[in-house]
Amino acid sequence: MSDLMSAPVKDLRPIFYPSSVAVVGTNRVVGTVPHDIFANILKSNFQGIVYPVSPKERSVAGVRAYKYIVDIPDPVDLAVLVFPSTVCNLALEQCGQKGVKGAIIISAGFREIGAVGIKREEEIREIARRYGIHFIGPNCLGVINTDPLSHLNASFARKMPQEGNIAFLSQSGALCTAVLDYAQAKHIGFSKFVSFGNKADVSEIDLMRYLKDDPKTKVILIYLEEISDGRALMETAREIITEAGKPVLLLKSGRTREGAAAAASHTGSLAGSDEICDAALKQAGIIRCSTIEEMFNNAIALASQPLPAGKRVAIITNAGGPGVLTTDAAIAEGLELARFSEPTLAMYRKSLPATANIKNPVDVIGDARADRYKVALGSALNDEAVDGAFVILTPQSMTDIENIAAEVCHVAGSQTKPVYASFMGEMDVSAGIEILQKHNIPHYILPESMCRAFARALFFKKHRDATVEAHIRFEDVKPDCARSIVREAISKGRRYLPETEATQILASYGLSVLPSGLATSKQEARVVAEKIGFPVVMKVESDDIVHKFDVQGVVLNVTSCEEAETAYESIHHHVKEALPHAVIKGVNVQKMVTGGEEVILGVKRDPSFGPVIMFGMGGLFVEIFKDVSFCVAPLSLRDADEMVQEIRAYKILVGARGAAARDLVSVRQCILRLAALAEDVAEIKELDINPLIVLDEGKGCFVADARIML
Amino acid sequence: MDRVELQQRILKVIANVLKVDPKEITPTANFAFDLGADSMQSIELIAAFEEEFGIEMDEERAREVQTVEGAVDFIAGYLK
Repeated sequence: MSDLMSAPVKDLRPIFYPSSVAVVGTNRVVGTVPHDIFANILKSNFQGIVYPVSPKERSVAGVRAYKYIVDIPDPVDLAVLVFPSTVCNLALEQCGQKGVKGAIIISAGFREIGAVGIKREEEIREIARRYGIHFIGPNCLGVINTDPLSHLNASFARKMPQEGNIAFLSQSGALCTAVLDYAQAKHIGFSKFVSFGNKADVSEIDLMRYLKDDPKTKVILIYLEEISDGRALMETAREIITEAGKPVLLLKSGRTREGAAAAASHTGSLAGSDEICDAALKQAGIIRCSTIEEMFNNAIALASQPLPAGKRVAIITNAGGPGVLTTDAAIAEGLELARFSEPTLAMYRKSLPATANIKNPVDVIGDARADRYKVALGSALNDEAVDGAFVILTPQSMTDIENIAAEVCHVAGSQTKPVYASFMGEMDVSAGIEILQKHNIPHYILPESMCRAFARALFFKKHRDATVEAHIRFEDVKPDCARSIVREAISKGRRYLPETEATQILASYGLSVLPSGLATSKQEARVVAEKIGFPVVMKVESDDIVHKFDVQGVVLNVTSCEEAETAYESIHHHVKEALPHAVIKGVNVQKMVTGGEEVILGVKRDPSFGPVIMFGMGGLFVEIFKDVSFCVAPLSLRDADEMVQEIRAYKILVGARGAAARDLVSVRQCILRLAALAEDVAEIKELDINPLIVLDEGKGCFVADARIML
Repeated sequence: MDRVELQQRILKVIANVLKVDPKEITPTANFAFDLGADSMQSIELIAAFEEEFGIEMDEERAREVQTVEGAVDFIAGYLK
C-alpha cells in the first residue's frame, strides 16, 4: 500500500465549510489578488463571517480590518494567505497561534521558483505540521464551494460557478478560470472547485478522499500535470468508484514518449510513460480524457443522466445522414444498435408516416415535429431491448426545435434510461440546446462525442459493479534465491543479467524454462547438446550483448554434434567481428521447442506506478506491431485475463482458422508469477521474456529467452 | 552620521513610502508583514533609500532585507 494511502484521511472541513474566514494580507487596491479574494468572499454570499487582515488598512471594502490575525477577537477556522511568499511563514505562524485549522496559500514564489522557494515551502510545511493546520497551495487560485451551507468563493476567479454535482480539482490555476468560463456557457455547475497548486500539504489524493464522502459531489474531475504517486491515485480512485459509486475523470497533460526511446529492453521501449499511465488509469477504472472538452462531454452525461444498463442504444433522428454517422460512431465505441421488440415496431407503424424508417436508427423524417419525437423516443425507452437513446436533430424549415427539445426533456424526465442529444448546427439550434442543458440532457455538437460519452458511462459502470478480486500470491516461489542472484550481480557493479541468470531467476518463481547448459568450447557444446537432445538452439552469452540476433549470436535448429561445433565457432566469429570488445562468457545450448506461439512478457518499473507487467505477441518485430497490453502489479486473475484478451492477436491464441488453441491458462500463470517476482525483487528495473513459447492447450509454455536490467 | 540619525532618516523614508505613522514603525517591524508593503512598494523603498543617502545599492541583496533594523545595518554598510 502506498504511504499516502496508509496516512489518515485529512479533515478538510475547515477549508470547505468554515464558520469564519480571515483573508490575511489583503488590501484596498481593486484589481489585485489580495483585494479581490476578500471581495469575492463578500460577493459570494458566504454563510459565515469574513475578516480582512491587513497591516496598514483600517478597513477593506467597508469591513473593519485587523492588523494581525491574532487580533481578531473571535475564533477563525480558515485563513486565506495572500501575503508575498517571503512572509507567509510569519503569517502562518500567527494562524497557528490563533488556532486556525485550515489554510489556503494563494501566494506564488515557492517550489516553482527553485531552491529558495523550496526552502520556503519546507518552512511553511513545518509550521503547518506543528500547529496541525492543513493547507491548500501554495501557488494556487483558491477554493470554491457552491454548497448553500457555505457558499464560499475563496479564489481570485472572476465568477462563482452555479451549484452542481461535479467537483473539479486542478493543478493549474489558470486552467481553472478557463474551465469556469467554459462551464458557465454550457450551464455546467460544480459542487467544489479547487486549484491545489504546489500541493505542499493537501494533495489531489487528500482531496479525492474528502470528495468520496462529500454528499454534494457525484462526479470527480481532475487535471494533473504530473502524477506523483500513481499507486495512491489508483487505490483512491478504486475506492471512490467501487465504494462511493462516483466516477473519476482525469485529464493529464504531457503525453510525450521521452525516456522510452533510449530503453535497452523491448519492454522498456514499448512501455513509454504515457502508455503505462493509460493502462494504469484504465486498470483503476479512471476515465482518462485527452481534452477539456472531452472531459466535460463525459462528465455531463455521468452527472445528469442515469447509467446505461447495457450497450444497446436507440437512435432517433430526423435526417438519414446524421443517423448513419451516429451508427458508425456507436459501433466504433463498442455499442450496439438495439433491435426493437414487436410492440415498439407496431407503435411506430401506427404513429409514424409510412416513409419513416422504423428500424434502428429511427428516421422520423425531415418534417417531424415534437409529437413524432415524443412517440419515437417514448416507445424506444419503454422497450426492454433498449438501454439508452440518442436524439439527433437537424434544423429544417419545418422543425419546431424548441418544442422538440422540451418534449425530449419531458420524455427523458419520466424514464430511468439515459437520453443524450445532438442538435446539429449552431445558430438555429441554440435555443433548443439551451433548453436541453437547463433540463440536464447532455448535449453534444458531434455524434462521435455523444457515443464516446455513452461508452465511458458503461466503462464506469463496469468498474463500479466489478467484484473486488484478490491479488494472487504464490507459496512455491523463492524470493531469496532470486534476490541473491540479483544482489550478487549488483555487488559486482553489473547492471545486466543475460539469459542464464535471468532464466534461473524466472525458474525460482515457477516459470518453466527449457533444459540448457553453458558451453565454453566447441567440444563442450557438442557434449551439452548431445546430453540435452537435438534439436537445440545455441546463443551467445555475454553481459555486453543485449540483442543477440543483431550480432548473429544465435543459431537455431542445430541437429547434430557436428553442427553444434560449427555453430559454436560461427557464433564466436560473428560476435567478435561485430563487437570486438564484448566479453563472451560462452554459448548457451538450449533445447529447441518446435511449434507453439511466441509471446512476449516483460516488466518495467515506473517511477510513479511501480512495477508494470507487459504481455503481447513476441518475436523480433514486437516493437513494430506494438500488439501489447500493460497492467500494474500486483495482479488479480481477472487482470491477467484481461491482459491476454486485450491484444489483437488474442484470436490467434484461442485458435484462429482451425488452428489449435494455445495454453492460455499457463500464460496467465506466467503473467501472475512474473508480477509476483516484480513485486518482490525491487532491484529489477526491466525484464524481457522474449519469446515465451506457448504450446497447445494443456501443454504449458516455456521461457525460450530472457534478460534482466538492474 | 551616527546610527541614531541614520535610523531616524530611514524611518522617515519608510513612513513616506508606505504611508504609515512613524510611531507605528518599530525596529523589528517587517516591511510586508507588519507595515503592509507590497512588491511595488518594496522597489519604491529601495529607490527612496538610494535617493535619501546618495548611494547605489545591490538590488538583489536589498530585496532580501525584510525589517527596519535590517535596513539600518544594510545601508550603514554603504555609508562607511
